Amino acid sequence: MKESTVENKKADDSLQAEIAQLPKAMTPARDLWPGIEQAISRNAVTSAQRSARNIFMPTAWAASVVAAVLLTWLTLSPEPATKNPAIALVAAMQQDFQQQKHSMLVNFGTPDIKQLPIAMQTELIKLNSAQKTISNALAEDPNNSDLLNLLRWTQQQELDLLKQLYSPQWQNI
Amino acid sequence: MNKLKIIDANEAVGPDLESQWITRAQQGDQQAFHRLYENYHRRIYALCWRMMADKDSAEDVCQEVFVQLWQKISNFRGESKFSTWLHSVASNIVLGHIRKNKTWLQRMFSIEEQAVADTVVEMPECSNLDKKIQKLPERARLVFVLFAIEGYRHEEIANMLGMAVGTSKAQYHRARALLRESLSE
Repeated sequence: MKESTVENKKADDSLQAEIAQLPKAMTPARDLWPGIEQAISRNAVTSAQRSARNIFMPTAWAASVVAAVLLTWLTLSPEPATKNPAIALVAAMQQDFQQQKHSMLVNFGTPDIKQLPIAMQTELIKLNSAQKTISNALAEDPNNSDLLNLLRWTQQQELDLLKQLYSPQWQNI
Repeated sequence: MNKLKIIDANEAVGPDLESQWITRAQQGDQQAFHRLYENYHRRIYALCWRMMADKDSAEDVCQEVFVQLWQKISNFRGESKFSTWLHSVASNIVLGHIRKNKTWLQRMFSIEEQAVADTVVEMPECSNLDKKIQKLPERARLVFVLFAIEGYRHEEIANMLGMAVGTSKAQYHRARALLRESLSE
């Protein structure tokens, strides 16, 4: 009885000693980092897209509202807009906007818009299309101040969008 | 002549440097995160390998641990040592993986899956005791690794494994008895 207790104690001590000597680290047979890197890079892209989507949601809503207002205005206008060739102000606004846009894109290194995620490309297309519709409406009624304001607003939205997309602080997300 | 001293990577890296890597990784710096990986992956792999008793699953789960660490590292507030926190994250991921891979029957009736019987994978760092641990029944092995190697208390283990504290203690004694027997053969 006593012998077996002593033997047990001995075996216990020996086990304890082996536990203490267990290696703390082991090397995996394959390099695990490439798989991890791929997964975390994918996560980073997904979350950047998610936050970008959050940023552009209000813009999408705004663009939709503009489109709806325009459509309503064009459809329900009580009298047809009178033709007027004097569109100098509109032309100047468009020219000024194109210059601002161009210099902004040059500052950002002339990025390729086609490289943007589809959702963002769609926002830019919507704004562009809204501007064209407003410009066409202004060609019919160049003195309409509501339309002029709408055009100015959509142009500013496009500039803000480009700024958000390409300015360095958003690139870091 | 002086004896060669084996330097543990974790001891070689100062706490300041490590906390810089953590902060940078929390800000999304993948290079800093890679440093943390380099520093810890072998320890985490050893934990996964001992708990899972399977080389391939251990590699997969070790990868999963670091992918989840990347997502959760902002939760680390420095209230404990980073290594302690990381081991706790890793242990829970391994246990989650084990639970996920159990069949419905095994979960319902707590049927124990026997560990890898005879095909113990030889690894350079694998000690004789490691080979014996791999052959332990699953629950005894998990309790033994968490208590004797990772240093958790039975209360913590019981909570992690969803068992009574007494069961954790009993499984530990069962593991020790099996190991003693196996080592004396």
